[in-house]
Amino acid sequence: MKIGTPKETFAGESRVAMTPDSARLLQKLGHECVLETGAGKAAGFSDVAYKDVGVEIVKTGAALFKASDVVAKVRPPTDTEVKRLRKGQTLISFFYPGANEELMGKVADKGATVIAMDMVPRISRAQKMDALSSMANIAGYRAVIEAGNNFGRFFTGQVTAAGKVPPAKVLVVGAGVAGLAAIGTATSLGAITYAFDVRPEVAEQVESMGAEFVYLEFDASELPDGADTGGYAAPSTPEFQAKQLAKFRELAPDIDIVITTALIPNRAAPILWTKDMVEAMKPGSVIVDLAAERGGNCELTVMDEKIVTDNGVTIVGYTDFPSRMATQSSTLYSNNIRHMMDDLTPENDGVINHDMEDDVIRGATIAHAKEVTFPPPPPKIQAIAAKPQAKVKEKTPEEILAEETAAFKAATVSQVKILVVGAVVMFAIGAYAPASFMQHFVVFVLSCFIGFQVIWNVSHALHTPLMAVTNAISGIIIIGALLQVGSGNWLVIILSAISIFIASINIVGGFMVTRRMLAMFQKS
Amino acid sequence: MGIGMTFAAYVAASVLFILSLGGLSNQESAKRAIWYGIVGMAIAVVATWFADGVGNRVLILLCIAAGAYAGHYIAGRVQMTEMPQLVAALHSFVGLAAVFIGLNADLMLSAVTAMKEAGIAMGDAELTGYGKALWHKDAVEISILKVEVFLGIFIGAITFTGSVIAFGKLSGKVDGNSKQLPGGHMLNAAGLAVCLLLGLMYLGGSGLWTMVLVVLVAGFIGWHLIMGIGGADMPVVVSMLNSYSGWAAAAIGFTLGNDLLIVTGALVGSSGAILSYIMCKAMNRKFVSVILGGFGGSNGPQMEVEGEQVAIEADGVAAALNDADSVVIIPGYGMAVAQAQQAVSELTRKLRANGKTVRFAIHPVAGRLPGHMNVLLAEAKVPYDIVLEMDEINDDFPETDVAIVIGSNDIVNPAAQDDPNSPIAGMPVLECWKSKQVFVSKRGQGTGYSGIENPLFFKENTRMFYGDAKASLDKLIPMID
Repeated sequence: MKIGTPKETFAGESRVAMTPDSARLLQKLGHECVLETGAGKAAGFSDVAYKDVGVEIVKTGAALFKASDVVAKVRPPTDTEVKRLRKGQTLISFFYPGANEELMGKVADKGATVIAMDMVPRISRAQKMDALSSMANIAGYRAVIEAGNNFGRFFTGQVTAAGKVPPAKVLVVGAGVAGLAAIGTATSLGAITYAFDVRPEVAEQVESMGAEFVYLEFDASELPDGADTGGYAAPSTPEFQAKQLAKFRELAPDIDIVITTALIPNRAAPILWTKDMVEAMKPGSVIVDLAAERGGNCELTVMDEKIVTDNGVTIVGYTDFPSRMATQSSTLYSNNIRHMMDDLTPENDGVINHDMEDDVIRGATIAHAKEVTFPPPPPKIQAIAAKPQAKVKEKTPEEILAEETAAFKAATVSQVKILVVGAVVMFAIGAYAPASFMQHFVVFVLSCFIGFQVIWNVSHALHTPLMAVTNAISGIIIIGALLQVGSGNWLVIILSAISIFIASINIVGGFMVTRRMLAMFQKS
Repeated sequence: MGIGMTFAAYVAASVLFILSLGGLSNQESAKRAIWYGIVGMAIAVVATWFADGVGNRVLILLCIAAGAYAGHYIAGRVQMTEMPQLVAALHSFVGLAAVFIGLNADLMLSAVTAMKEAGIAMGDAELTGYGKALWHKDAVEISILKVEVFLGIFIGAITFTGSVIAFGKLSGKVDGNSKQLPGGHMLNAAGLAVCLLLGLMYLGGSGLWTMVLVVLVAGFIGWHLIMGIGGADMPVVVSMLNSYSGWAAAAIGFTLGNDLLIVTGALVGSSGAILSYIMCKAMNRKFVSVILGGFGGSNGPQMEVEGEQVAIEADGVAAALNDADSVVIIPGYGMAVAQAQQAVSELTRKLRANGKTVRFAIHPVAGRLPGHMNVLLAEAKVPYDIVLEMDEINDDFPETDVAIVIGSNDIVNPAAQDDPNSPIAGMPVLECWKSKQVFVSKRGQGTGYSGIENPLFFKENTRMFYGDAKASLDKLIPMID
């Protein structure tokens, strides 16, 4: 199949859905690759780089759509692009089907199959094609960089000869993929980072990234369980929201940088940072609103713009953070696409098998065979997010002591039992057996005892040499044959001679191989 | 040489044997301890050769020379990966010798009894030292002797055929899967009953033919018992046979009234018993259930494994290794099969040269012989102080950057901890999935010897590095810089 990537036509979009690297890997799957000239330029990939890995370059978008069986792009298709689609062709791009129903109807009418990268189900298996997560990761990182760009101070606290610099305080609201990326970036720049999320179970992840989780005093059992909603936060109750806002109001005067990432699928963004909170902030503070596209988490956010309020707070409402890092985001997005193609071509033979039974492929497909296939049925495998585990109760020192004493007592009892039974058996044997036997028997029992004591001390690493050496010394059975071979009976002589022969093999072979092994053990 | 001198030599030999086993507590003292064993054996053999009542001395020398040559030849040529089969083969020799010596004891006993009945005076009969000892025995002692002969022959025969089959399975000459004749363990039980019956008849005076039959029936039991045990349980089988060979020697010691044989047999027997115990404990299984074959009770459906196995190529593994600070390698039988220990050693050397911490985690039942992995790694010149036991390293996995699993499966199966219905539930395992990244070198998808699905392969931080272990590592090594 031919996979083609056109130039993005959306104003300001710098990303591209195919990089030279991903093209090389796509070709390994048996596909051919086509690119509209200059498509990778804004992301830093020249036509030459593509040509070098064997990508065919075509002059116009129309020619590209004509040449390719699969069109991979970033933004949802424009009307012109929809017109260019044909029956049997596959389009892979972001689509936001919930908001673009009319467009979806059009592509379905064309008979093209559409895979929406933003509809990839959130299950473990599909993580490698989860473009929303890879873009959110970039947005989170870029949000902090953008904030730093507009913030007049260091992130990290310093004591210099010229005076003391306090560290910046960053609050990240919403600890999803973008939020966690922002936390990681902010902490590694040296800021004191706080984070908040309505799902208390992410506190652990937040703390693992080095931020402090802002807890609300609230009964956890009243909260919706994030695991039921595919890992996304669920809308919260009015009481909860009131508490949350009160907490933010309390924090606002102290915070230098606020990064909000709170989004719930297919809803307007909740207002979490109200006008009065902005007013309470210090001049020079920065708010970066990653939810600006859906109206923003901050009441004053203006979409796609950077504004400065009367009290000197900068509010960044850009929506194109991934596109601002086009090289990085193109690399990740093209990898997501490549993984999707990998799943679509299970035989690696360049033939696409659009398996509508597969949870991931079915979930992402929004138009197939002239039908709109959105929304998808719920996936067969329910997703991620471990249930909060019941904590194991810590034992008190008294309990541990009691347990140890009990274990010691049990061990004593069992040992005494063994000794008593052993003694009884000994007496029973002694009562009937003649003295000559008992002499040997004493030797036997003591030897077993010594054997047990000695062997327990043998290091695990030397168990094979131990077996070889016991093999060698069990060749001691040769003594028995030596004592018998002098007999007058020819049968006895033959059997003893054979025994001597094989026991000697044992002795010499066993010792030699043990020596060989032991010589190999070397200290570094 | 007088009887007192012989005894003195035997005491010396016993002490030296104990020292030689005790010395195996660490690698350095072991190198000295082996000489104690060799000297002890030399003293014992030479003292017996010079002892009173030993005849055919030239024949003895010839046989020892021939045996020594054969032993030398085998020990010099054996590959370290072939150790399990060599050990099994040597066990079979001890078993066979025990059978022969037991039969001899009976032959001589009947000869001596016949002479006594014919009224020949002891001075006139030309007797060996052992013959004289037999002459002095009273009726009770003769009965006990017969029990000892029976035990020696019975254990010896089981050891012999069992070891031969173990040898066949380990060397691949016999199919490694568990196989049994119809009737299964009932057949073994019947065999045991027949042996006991024959033993009783022998005690009643039924003569040599009963013992010959015992050899055949016990031989059958040994064959059938080991045929029924699968490849993964071989470490237990080999240790068990090791133990049996010791007990057979001890039984022969009783027959001959020789304390050195008893001491040595008891040492070897207890050594094998402890090894079997350690192996069973490491698999969380009862000794009986291993011997009777098949896995222990599973009381419900196993957990479904979610996710998919994600493959990775050598360059990905190399990149992760280049970034890692601490690496733990977990070898298993697959490494031995692929003869990959040299490549593993080379990889270790390169990683260590780059200042990374590299350690090995050895599960007690990795391989087909207790301590098998240690010997293979030592052969490939991996220093032993970076080769650690399970208990020493299990707590360190969360701080490990990369864990590489080479040819092991069940010993790294998280189901042993997570899934109470798994056949290996409760078995102690190496918790490699706690490290940041796990690479599994494996020939292909599918389950291992035990046929148990391994959820490790489906974990998010696990990548499957498919292919023959040696070929994969050879591809990987040049990419480490």
